[in-house]
Amino acid sequence: MHNKPKGLGSRPVQFALALIALAGVAGRAEALGVVAGTQIENTAQVSYTIGGTSVSTASNTVALTVAEVLDVVVTLQSATTSVSPGATDQVLVYRVTNTGNASEGFRLALTSVLGGDEFDPLPAAPAVYFDTDGSGALTAADTPYTPGANDPVLAPDGFVTVLAVHDIPSGLANGARGFARLEVAALTGTGAPGTVFAGQGAGGTDAVVGTSGADGEATGQYVVADITLAAVKSATVTDPFGGSRPVPGARIRYQIVVTATGSGVATGVSFLDPIPANTSFVPGSITLNGNPLTDSTADADAGGYTTTPSAAVQVALGDLTQASGPQTLVFDVTIN
Amino acid sequence: MHKGTWSLLATLATLGAVQAVAASDPASASTPAEPQGCITVKSVAEIEQETVNDKGERVKRLVPAAKVVPGMEVIWTVTASNVCAQAVGNVTIDNPVPEHMRYVPDSALGAGADIVFSLDGRRFAAAEQLRVRDADGSERTARPDEYTHIRWLFRNPIEPGRMALARFRAVLK
Repeated sequence: MHNKPKGLGSRPVQFALALIALAGVAGRAEALGVVAGTQIENTAQVSYTIGGTSVSTASNTVALTVAEVLDVVVTLQSATTSVSPGATDQVLVYRVTNTGNASEGFRLALTSVLGGDEFDPLPAAPAVYFDTDGSGALTAADTPYTPGANDPVLAPDGFVTVLAVHDIPSGLANGARGFARLEVAALTGTGAPGTVFAGQGAGGTDAVVGTSGADGEATGQYVVADITLAAVKSATVTDPFGGSRPVPGARIRYQIVVTATGSGVATGVSFLDPIPANTSFVPGSITLNGNPLTDSTADADAGGYTTTPSAAVQVALGDLTQASGPQTLVFDVTIN
Repeated sequence: MHKGTWSLLATLATLGAVQAVAASDPASASTPAEPQGCITVKSVAEIEQETVNDKGERVKRLVPAAKVVPGMEVIWTVTASNVCAQAVGNVTIDNPVPEHMRYVPDSALGAGADIVFSLDGRRFAAAEQLRVRDADGSERTARPDEYTHIRWLFRNPIEPGRMALARFRAVLK
Protein backbone atom coordinates (compact mmCIF):
# COMPACT_ATOMS: atom_id res chain seq x y z
CA MET A 1 0.00 0.00 0.00
CA HIS A 2 2.43 2.66 1.09
CA ASN A 3 5.16 1.68 -1.29
CA LYS A 4 7.49 4.51 -1.88
CA PRO A 5 8.68 5.10 -5.38
CA LYS A 6 12.37 4.52 -5.60
CA GLY A 7 14.41 7.62 -4.91
CA LEU A 8 11.51 9.75 -3.77
CA GLY A 9 12.28 9.81 -0.09
CA SER A 10 10.06 11.20 2.55
CA ARG A 11 8.59 14.63 1.84
CA PRO A 12 7.44 16.55 4.84
CA VAL A 13 4.36 18.63 4.52
CA GLN A 14 5.27 22.25 4.78
CA PHE A 15 3.17 24.74 6.61
CA ALA A 16 3.36 28.41 6.62
CA LEU A 17 1.40 29.93 9.43
CA ALA A 18 1.01 33.60 8.86
CA LEU A 19 -0.59 36.22 11.00
CA ILE A 20 -2.46 38.48 8.71
CA ALA A 21 -1.67 41.99 9.75
CA LEU A 22 -4.43 44.54 9.65
CA ALA A 23 -4.37 46.49 6.46
CA GLY A 24 -1.78 49.19 6.83
CA VAL A 25 -4.02 52.01 5.84
CA ALA A 26 -4.04 53.75 9.17
CA GLY A 27 -2.03 56.85 9.77
CA ARG A 28 -3.45 59.60 7.72
CA ALA A 29 -6.46 60.45 9.74
CA GLU A 30 -7.24 63.69 8.05
CA ALA A 31 -5.84 66.06 5.51
CA LEU A 32 -3.16 68.16 7.08
CA GLY A 33 -3.35 71.90 7.06
CA VAL A 34 -1.05 74.74 6.30
CA VAL A 35 2.25 74.38 8.12
CA ALA A 36 2.69 76.33 11.34
CA GLY A 37 4.52 79.64 10.97
CA THR A 38 3.11 80.35 7.51
CA GLN A 39 2.15 83.99 7.01
CA ILE A 40 -1.32 84.63 5.62
CA GLU A 41 -1.38 88.09 4.12
CA ASN A 42 -4.08 90.22 2.60
CA THR A 43 -4.10 93.67 1.03
CA ALA A 44 -7.22 95.07 -0.60
CA GLN A 45 -7.24 97.64 -3.42
CA VAL A 46 -9.86 100.29 -3.85
CA SER A 47 -10.37 102.40 -6.94
CA TYR A 48 -12.84 105.21 -7.44
CA THR A 49 -13.39 108.39 -9.35
CA ILE A 50 -13.64 111.84 -7.98
CA GLY A 51 -14.15 114.90 -10.13
CA GLY A 52 -13.59 112.80 -13.21
CA THR A 53 -10.26 111.49 -11.94
CA SER A 54 -9.53 107.86 -11.26
CA VAL A 55 -7.78 107.11 -8.02
CA SER A 56 -6.52 103.84 -6.64
CA THR A 57 -5.41 103.10 -3.13
CA ALA A 58 -4.41 100.08 -1.11
CA SER A 59 -5.47 99.02 2.31
CA ASN A 60 -3.21 98.11 5.15
CA THR A 61 -1.76 94.62 4.87
CA VAL A 62 -3.23 92.19 7.32
CA ALA A 63 -0.80 89.40 8.25
CA LEU A 64 -1.87 86.37 10.21
CA THR A 65 0.53 83.72 11.39
CA VAL A 66 -0.60 80.11 11.30
CA ALA A 67 -0.31 78.64 14.78
CA GLU A 68 0.80 75.10 15.51
CA VAL A 69 -1.92 72.52 15.95
CA LEU A 70 -1.02 69.67 18.27
CA ASP A 71 -2.63 66.46 17.09
CA VAL A 72 -1.68 62.82 17.10
CA VAL A 73 -3.28 59.53 16.13
CA VAL A 74 -2.26 56.14 17.45
CA THR A 75 -3.41 53.02 15.65
CA LEU A 76 -2.94 49.34 16.34
CA GLN A 77 -1.32 47.70 13.35
CA SER A 78 -1.28 44.10 14.50
CA ALA A 79 -4.21 41.76 14.77
CA THR A 80 -4.89 40.00 18.04
CA THR A 81 -1.66 38.17 18.74
CA SER A 82 -1.98 34.48 19.57
CA VAL A 83 0.48 33.46 22.24
CA SER A 84 1.42 30.43 24.30
CA PRO A 85 1.72 30.64 28.10
CA GLY A 86 5.29 31.46 29.08
CA ALA A 87 6.18 32.83 25.65
CA THR A 88 8.74 35.66 25.62
CA ASP A 89 9.19 38.73 23.42
CA GLN A 90 5.69 38.76 22.03
CA VAL A 91 4.98 41.84 19.93
CA LEU A 92 2.12 44.23 19.30
CA VAL A 93 2.62 46.76 16.50
CA TYR A 94 1.38 50.35 16.70
CA ARG A 95 1.70 53.37 14.49
CA VAL A 96 2.01 56.91 15.82
CA THR A 97 1.13 59.63 13.28
CA ASN A 98 1.60 63.37 13.72
CA THR A 99 -1.66 64.80 12.40
CA GLY A 100 -0.70 68.32 13.45
CA ASN A 101 0.81 70.97 11.19
CA ALA A 102 4.31 71.26 12.61
CA SER A 103 7.18 69.05 13.57
CA GLU A 104 6.50 67.81 17.08
CA GLY A 105 8.02 65.47 19.65
CA PHE A 106 5.96 62.80 21.35
CA ARG A 107 6.27 60.91 24.63
CA LEU A 108 5.32 57.22 24.57
CA ALA A 109 4.09 55.14 27.50
CA LEU A 110 3.07 51.50 27.64
CA THR A 111 0.50 50.16 30.09
CA SER A 112 -0.48 46.55 30.45
CA VAL A 113 -2.21 46.53 33.83
CA LEU A 114 -5.69 47.11 32.50
CA GLY A 115 -9.20 46.01 33.28
CA GLY A 116 -11.35 43.79 31.15
CA ASP A 117 -8.79 41.13 30.44
CA GLU A 118 -7.70 37.89 32.10
CA PHE A 119 -3.96 38.49 32.48
CA ASP A 120 -1.41 41.27 32.43
CA PRO A 121 1.26 40.91 29.77
CA LEU A 122 4.67 41.50 31.37
CA PRO A 123 6.62 44.34 29.73
CA ALA A 124 10.00 43.18 28.48
CA ALA A 125 13.03 45.32 29.30
CA PRO A 126 13.04 47.48 27.29
CA ALA A 127 9.41 47.14 26.35
CA VAL A 128 9.11 49.68 23.53
CA TYR A 129 11.11 49.65 20.31
CA PHE A 130 11.01 51.60 17.10
CA ASP A 131 10.59 49.29 14.13
CA THR A 132 13.77 50.69 12.65
CA ASP A 133 14.07 48.13 9.89
CA GLY A 134 10.38 48.32 9.02
CA SER A 135 9.94 44.57 9.37
CA GLY A 136 6.90 44.71 11.62
CA ALA A 137 8.66 42.29 13.95
CA LEU A 138 11.24 42.63 16.69
CA THR A 139 14.75 42.25 15.27
CA ALA A 140 18.26 43.12 16.37
CA ALA A 141 18.13 46.17 14.10
CA ASP A 142 15.29 47.80 16.02
CA THR A 143 16.04 50.71 18.36
CA PRO A 144 14.85 50.58 21.96
CA TYR A 145 12.91 53.61 23.20
CA THR A 146 13.88 55.48 26.33
CA PRO A 147 11.42 58.19 27.41
CA GLY A 148 13.06 61.59 27.39
CA ALA A 149 16.13 60.32 25.58
CA ASN A 150 14.88 59.49 22.12
CA ASP A 151 11.31 60.68 22.00
CA PRO A 152 10.26 60.53 18.35
CA VAL A 153 10.07 63.87 16.56
CA LEU A 154 7.64 63.58 13.69
CA ALA A 155 7.15 65.91 10.74
CA PRO A 156 3.57 66.87 9.85
CA ASP A 157 1.91 63.71 8.54
CA GLY A 158 4.99 61.74 9.55
CA PHE A 159 4.63 58.51 11.46
CA VAL A 160 6.72 55.99 13.34
CA THR A 161 6.04 52.31 13.82
CA VAL A 162 6.35 51.21 17.43
CA LEU A 163 6.72 47.69 18.75
CA ALA A 164 5.42 46.84 22.23
CA VAL A 165 7.20 43.77 23.60
CA HIS A 166 5.81 41.59 26.36
CA ASP A 167 6.42 38.26 28.00
CA ILE A 168 3.40 36.07 28.64
CA PRO A 169 2.90 34.66 32.14
CA SER A 170 2.84 30.89 32.42
CA GLY A 171 -0.08 28.84 33.65
CA LEU A 172 -2.75 30.64 31.67
CA ALA A 173 -5.92 29.03 30.39
CA ASN A 174 -6.69 28.81 26.73
CA GLY A 175 -8.61 31.86 25.52
CA ALA A 176 -7.25 34.16 28.24
CA ARG A 177 -6.76 37.71 27.00
CA GLY A 178 -4.17 40.27 28.00
CA PHE A 179 -4.46 43.92 26.94
CA ALA A 180 -1.65 46.40 26.42
CA ARG A 181 -2.10 50.07 25.63
CA LEU A 182 0.30 52.50 24.01
CA GLU A 183 -0.29 56.08 25.12
CA VAL A 184 1.23 58.99 23.23
CA ALA A 185 1.33 62.66 24.18
CA ALA A 186 2.69 65.74 22.40
CA LEU A 187 5.74 67.11 24.22
CA THR A 188 4.56 70.70 23.88
CA GLY A 189 1.50 69.84 25.91
CA THR A 190 -1.91 68.21 25.96
CA GLY A 191 -5.33 69.34 27.05
CA ALA A 192 -8.83 70.13 25.92
CA PRO A 193 -9.07 71.01 22.22
CA GLY A 194 -8.43 74.71 21.85
CA THR A 195 -6.03 74.95 24.77
CA VAL A 196 -3.31 77.44 23.85
CA PHE A 197 0.37 77.22 24.73
CA ALA A 198 1.42 80.78 23.98
CA GLY A 199 4.66 81.10 22.08
CA GLN A 200 5.42 77.40 22.40
CA GLY A 201 4.58 76.40 18.85
CA ALA A 202 6.95 75.89 15.97
CA GLY A 203 8.98 79.01 15.24
CA GLY A 204 7.63 80.87 18.24
CA THR A 205 4.02 80.69 17.15
CA ASP A 206 1.33 79.72 19.57
CA ALA A 207 0.57 76.04 19.90
CA VAL A 208 -3.10 75.07 19.98
CA VAL A 209 -4.38 71.69 21.08
CA GLY A 210 -6.28 70.02 18.23
CA THR A 211 -9.28 67.74 18.25
CA SER A 212 -7.28 64.77 19.52
CA GLY A 213 -6.36 66.61 22.70
CA ALA A 214 -2.75 66.27 21.53
CA ASP A 215 -2.67 62.76 22.88
CA GLY A 216 -3.80 59.38 21.67
CA GLU A 217 -3.81 55.75 22.58
CA ALA A 218 -4.51 52.35 21.12
CA THR A 219 -4.98 49.03 22.85
CA GLY A 220 -3.81 45.71 21.50
CA GLN A 221 -4.39 42.27 22.88
CA TYR A 222 -2.74 38.93 23.29
CA VAL A 223 -4.87 35.80 23.40
CA VAL A 224 -3.64 32.52 24.75
CA ALA A 225 -4.39 30.18 21.94
CA ASP A 226 -2.96 26.75 22.21
CA ILE A 227 -3.63 25.35 18.84
CA THR A 228 -1.69 22.68 17.03
CA LEU A 229 -1.92 21.69 13.46
CA ALA A 230 -1.34 18.11 12.48
CA ALA A 231 -0.92 16.92 8.94
CA VAL A 232 -1.06 13.28 7.96
CA LYS A 233 0.08 12.36 4.48
CA SER A 234 -0.52 9.09 2.71
CA ALA A 235 0.18 7.86 -0.80
CA THR A 236 -1.51 5.29 -3.02
CA VAL A 237 0.29 3.93 -6.10
CA THR A 238 -1.50 2.60 -9.17
CA ASP A 239 0.75 1.15 -11.88
CA PRO A 240 -0.21 0.91 -15.56
CA PHE A 241 -0.68 -2.81 -15.21
CA GLY A 242 -3.41 -2.69 -12.59
CA GLY A 243 -1.00 -3.23 -9.74
CA SER A 244 0.56 -0.96 -7.14
CA ARG A 245 4.20 -1.01 -8.15
CA PRO A 246 6.07 2.33 -8.35
CA VAL A 247 7.25 2.00 -11.91
CA PRO A 248 7.56 4.73 -14.57
CA GLY A 249 4.08 5.70 -15.65
CA ALA A 250 2.57 4.70 -12.32
CA ARG A 251 0.25 7.23 -10.73
CA ILE A 252 0.62 8.27 -7.09
CA ARG A 253 -2.34 9.77 -5.30
CA TYR A 254 -1.30 11.83 -2.27
CA GLN A 255 -3.79 12.58 0.46
CA ILE A 256 -3.00 15.10 3.17
CA VAL A 257 -5.33 15.58 6.13
CA VAL A 258 -4.81 18.73 8.18
CA THR A 259 -6.40 18.90 11.61
CA ALA A 260 -6.43 21.76 14.11
CA THR A 261 -6.58 20.88 17.79
CA GLY A 262 -6.90 23.33 20.68
CA SER A 263 -8.81 26.41 21.67
CA GLY A 264 -7.41 29.12 19.47
CA VAL A 265 -7.46 30.13 15.86
CA ALA A 266 -4.68 29.32 13.45
CA THR A 267 -4.94 32.33 11.16
CA GLY A 268 -4.07 32.36 7.51
CA VAL A 269 -3.04 28.73 7.28
CA SER A 270 -1.44 28.00 3.96
CA PHE A 271 -0.21 24.70 2.73
CA LEU A 272 2.60 24.00 0.30
CA ASP A 273 3.55 20.50 -0.78
CA PRO A 274 6.44 20.15 -3.26
CA ILE A 275 6.04 17.78 -6.18
CA PRO A 276 8.59 15.01 -5.54
CA ALA A 277 11.62 14.74 -7.82
CA ASN A 278 11.22 12.40 -10.79
CA THR A 279 7.48 12.81 -10.79
CA SER A 280 5.10 15.07 -12.70
CA PHE A 281 1.97 16.74 -11.40
CA VAL A 282 -1.23 15.46 -13.02
CA PRO A 283 -3.20 18.49 -14.25
CA GLY A 284 -6.70 18.87 -12.82
CA SER A 285 -6.12 16.40 -10.02
CA ILE A 286 -6.38 18.68 -6.99
CA THR A 287 -9.36 18.38 -4.67
CA LEU A 288 -10.00 20.00 -1.27
CA ASN A 289 -12.53 18.20 0.91
CA GLY A 290 -13.75 16.43 -2.22
CA ASN A 291 -14.25 19.62 -4.24
CA PRO A 292 -12.09 20.07 -7.32
CA LEU A 293 -9.73 23.03 -7.45
CA THR A 294 -8.43 24.43 -10.71
CA ASP A 295 -4.69 24.30 -11.35
CA SER A 296 -4.44 28.10 -11.53
CA THR A 297 -3.16 29.82 -8.42
CA ALA A 298 -4.45 33.16 -9.71
CA ASP A 299 -8.16 32.41 -9.70
CA ALA A 300 -10.70 32.68 -6.92
CA ASP A 301 -10.51 29.15 -5.56
CA ALA A 302 -8.32 28.20 -2.65
CA GLY A 303 -5.39 26.65 -4.42
CA GLY A 304 -3.55 25.41 -7.45
CA TYR A 305 -0.33 24.15 -8.92
CA THR A 306 2.71 26.37 -9.17
CA THR A 307 6.14 25.92 -10.74
CA THR A 308 7.70 28.96 -9.09
CA PRO A 309 10.13 28.75 -7.39
CA SER A 310 9.71 25.01 -7.71
CA ALA A 311 6.90 22.65 -8.61
CA ALA A 312 4.40 22.45 -5.76
CA VAL A 313 0.75 22.25 -4.89
CA GLN A 314 -0.36 25.18 -2.75
CA VAL A 315 -3.66 25.67 -0.97
CA ALA A 316 -4.83 28.45 1.33
CA LEU A 317 -6.84 26.89 4.13
CA GLY A 318 -7.61 30.23 5.79
CA ASP A 319 -8.34 30.47 9.48
CA LEU A 320 -8.67 27.08 11.15
CA THR A 321 -10.13 26.16 14.51
CA GLN A 322 -10.83 22.81 16.03
CA ALA A 323 -14.41 23.24 14.87
CA SER A 324 -13.21 23.48 11.27
CA GLY A 325 -12.65 19.72 11.28
CA PRO A 326 -10.14 17.81 9.17
CA GLN A 327 -9.18 19.42 5.85
CA THR A 328 -8.49 16.82 3.19
CA LEU A 329 -6.35 17.66 0.22
CA VAL A 330 -5.76 15.24 -2.63
CA PHE A 331 -3.59 15.45 -5.75
CA ASP A 332 -1.92 13.08 -8.20
CA VAL A 333 1.53 12.76 -9.73
CA THR A 334 2.95 10.29 -12.23
CA ILE A 335 6.37 8.72 -12.00
CA ASN A 336 8.62 9.81 -14.87
CA MET B 1 5.69 96.85 9.57
CA HIS B 2 2.01 97.39 8.88
CA LYS B 3 2.30 101.06 9.48
CA GLY B 4 5.30 101.30 7.18
CA THR B 5 3.50 99.54 4.38
CA TRP B 6 0.48 101.73 4.79
CA SER B 7 2.30 105.01 4.71
CA LEU B 8 4.34 104.00 1.67
CA LEU B 9 1.26 102.96 -0.24
CA ALA B 10 -0.54 106.09 0.82
CA THR B 11 2.29 108.18 -0.54
CA LEU B 12 2.19 106.36 -3.84
CA ALA B 13 -1.54 106.80 -4.06
CA THR B 14 -1.22 110.48 -3.36
CA LEU B 15 1.37 110.96 -6.06
CA GLY B 16 -0.80 109.03 -8.48
CA ALA B 17 -3.75 111.23 -7.74
CA VAL B 18 -1.82 114.46 -8.14
CA GLN B 19 -0.30 113.35 -11.39
CA ALA B 20 -3.62 112.18 -12.70
CA VAL B 21 -5.23 115.50 -11.93
CA ALA B 22 -2.43 117.41 -13.52
CA ALA B 23 -2.56 115.34 -16.67
CA SER B 24 -6.28 115.33 -17.20
CA ASP B 25 -7.06 118.89 -16.29
CA PRO B 26 -4.15 121.31 -16.55
CA ALA B 27 -6.41 124.26 -15.90
CA SER B 28 -7.17 123.12 -12.40
CA ALA B 29 -3.55 122.63 -11.53
CA SER B 30 -3.38 126.11 -10.10
CA THR B 31 -6.20 125.47 -7.65
CA PRO B 32 -5.64 123.07 -4.83
CA ALA B 33 -6.75 119.63 -5.90
CA GLU B 34 -9.40 117.89 -3.93
CA PRO B 35 -7.89 116.28 -0.85
CA GLN B 36 -5.78 113.48 -2.17
CA GLY B 37 -7.04 110.11 -1.22
CA CYS B 38 -10.71 110.67 -0.56
CA ILE B 39 -11.05 107.09 0.53
CA THR B 40 -9.34 105.50 3.46
CA VAL B 41 -9.26 101.75 3.22
CA LYS B 42 -9.01 99.37 6.08
CA SER B 43 -8.79 95.62 5.96
CA VAL B 44 -9.38 93.47 9.02
CA ALA B 45 -9.39 89.75 9.71
CA GLU B 46 -11.79 88.44 12.29
CA ILE B 47 -13.17 85.18 13.53
CA GLU B 48 -16.61 84.42 14.80
CA GLN B 49 -16.75 83.63 18.46
CA GLU B 50 -19.78 82.16 20.15
CA THR B 51 -20.47 83.40 23.62
CA VAL B 52 -23.36 83.28 26.04
CA ASN B 53 -24.88 86.65 26.93
CA ASP B 54 -26.55 87.85 30.12
CA LYS B 55 -29.81 86.21 29.14
CA GLY B 56 -28.12 82.88 28.63
CA GLU B 57 -28.48 83.07 24.86
CA ARG B 58 -25.76 81.97 22.53
CA VAL B 59 -24.60 84.90 20.47
CA LYS B 60 -21.94 85.19 17.85
CA ARG B 61 -19.60 88.11 17.71
CA LEU B 62 -16.59 88.97 15.65
CA VAL B 63 -13.24 89.19 17.37
CA PRO B 64 -9.86 89.98 15.81
CA ALA B 65 -8.15 86.91 14.41
CA ALA B 66 -5.24 86.62 16.79
CA LYS B 67 -4.13 83.19 15.74
CA VAL B 68 -5.34 80.93 12.99
CA VAL B 69 -5.13 77.19 12.62
CA PRO B 70 -6.06 74.94 9.70
CA GLY B 71 -9.80 74.62 9.27
CA MET B 72 -10.51 77.96 10.88
CA GLU B 73 -12.88 80.32 9.10
CA VAL B 74 -11.65 83.90 8.84
CA ILE B 75 -13.92 86.81 7.99
CA TRP B 76 -12.14 89.40 5.88
CA THR B 77 -13.72 92.84 5.88
CA VAL B 78 -12.66 95.86 3.86
CA THR B 79 -14.12 99.25 4.63
CA ALA B 80 -13.68 102.17 2.26
CA SER B 81 -14.61 105.42 3.96
CA ASN B 82 -15.17 108.66 2.11
CA VAL B 83 -13.25 111.29 4.04
CA CYS B 84 -13.81 114.06 1.49
CA ALA B 85 -16.57 116.63 1.25
CA GLN B 86 -17.88 115.30 -2.03
CA ALA B 87 -19.19 112.01 -3.22
CA VAL B 88 -16.91 109.51 -4.93
CA GLY B 89 -18.15 107.29 -7.71
CA ASN B 90 -17.30 104.05 -9.44
CA VAL B 91 -16.03 102.61 -6.21
CA THR B 92 -14.46 99.22 -6.75
CA ILE B 93 -12.91 97.06 -4.05
CA ASP B 94 -10.58 94.26 -5.10
CA ASN B 95 -9.57 91.71 -2.54
CA PRO B 96 -7.59 88.55 -3.20
CA VAL B 97 -8.48 85.34 -1.44
CA PRO B 98 -5.28 84.97 0.60
CA GLU B 99 -2.88 82.23 -0.29
CA HIS B 100 -3.49 79.01 1.69
CA MET B 101 -7.13 79.93 2.10
CA ARG B 102 -10.30 78.69 0.43
CA TYR B 103 -13.23 80.97 -0.28
CA VAL B 104 -16.43 79.94 1.47
CA PRO B 105 -19.23 79.63 -1.12
CA ASP B 106 -21.79 82.46 -1.13
CA SER B 107 -19.98 84.29 1.65
CA ALA B 108 -19.13 87.47 -0.26
CA LEU B 109 -21.40 90.35 0.62
CA GLY B 110 -21.47 94.07 0.10
CA ALA B 111 -24.58 96.23 0.24
CA GLY B 112 -25.25 97.95 -3.06
CA ALA B 113 -22.48 96.13 -4.86
CA ASP B 114 -22.34 93.71 -7.74
CA ILE B 115 -19.87 90.99 -6.84
CA VAL B 116 -17.71 89.28 -9.44
CA PHE B 117 -14.98 86.69 -9.13
CA SER B 118 -11.75 85.81 -10.83
CA LEU B 119 -9.42 82.86 -11.17
CA ASP B 120 -6.37 84.96 -12.05
CA GLY B 121 -6.93 88.49 -10.76
CA ARG B 122 -7.39 89.87 -14.28
CA ARG B 123 -10.57 88.51 -15.77
CA PHE B 124 -13.62 88.93 -13.55
CA ALA B 125 -17.11 87.56 -14.07
CA ALA B 126 -20.24 86.74 -12.15
CA ALA B 127 -20.01 83.38 -10.39
CA GLU B 128 -22.18 81.50 -12.87
CA GLN B 129 -20.33 82.98 -15.85
CA LEU B 130 -16.86 82.06 -14.66
CA ARG B 131 -15.82 79.07 -16.75
CA VAL B 132 -12.78 76.84 -16.57
CA ARG B 133 -11.44 74.28 -18.99
CA ASP B 134 -10.39 70.99 -17.45
CA ALA B 135 -7.39 68.99 -18.52
CA ASP B 136 -9.61 66.78 -20.66
CA GLY B 137 -10.86 69.80 -22.62
CA SER B 138 -14.33 69.91 -21.14
CA GLU B 139 -15.63 73.23 -19.89
CA ARG B 140 -17.45 73.80 -16.66
CA THR B 141 -18.42 76.50 -14.20
CA ALA B 142 -15.63 77.38 -11.79
CA ARG B 143 -15.99 76.09 -8.27
CA PRO B 144 -15.95 78.64 -5.42
CA ASP B 145 -12.83 77.04 -3.98
CA GLU B 146 -11.05 77.98 -7.20
CA TYR B 147 -11.66 81.71 -6.86
CA THR B 148 -8.51 83.72 -6.30
CA HIS B 149 -9.88 87.26 -6.33
CA ILE B 150 -13.16 88.97 -5.53
CA ARG B 151 -14.29 92.36 -6.81
CA TRP B 152 -17.10 94.51 -5.46
CA LEU B 153 -18.54 97.06 -7.91
CA PHE B 154 -20.59 99.63 -5.99
CA ARG B 155 -23.54 100.80 -8.02
CA ASN B 156 -23.96 104.18 -6.33
CA PRO B 157 -21.53 106.91 -5.30
CA ILE B 158 -20.41 106.99 -1.71
CA GLU B 159 -21.47 110.17 -0.03
CA PRO B 160 -19.16 112.13 2.26
CA GLY B 161 -18.81 110.54 5.66
CA ARG B 162 -20.21 107.20 4.46
CA MET B 163 -18.43 103.99 3.82
CA ALA B 164 -18.60 100.97 1.58
CA LEU B 165 -18.16 97.56 3.11
CA ALA B 166 -16.98 94.41 1.38
CA ARG B 167 -16.75 91.14 3.24
CA PHE B 168 -16.08 87.48 2.58
CA ARG B 169 -15.20 84.36 4.49
CA ALA B 170 -12.34 81.99 3.82
CA VAL B 171 -11.14 78.83 5.50
CA LEU B 172 -7.49 78.18 6.24
CA LYS B 173 -6.46 75.06 4.36
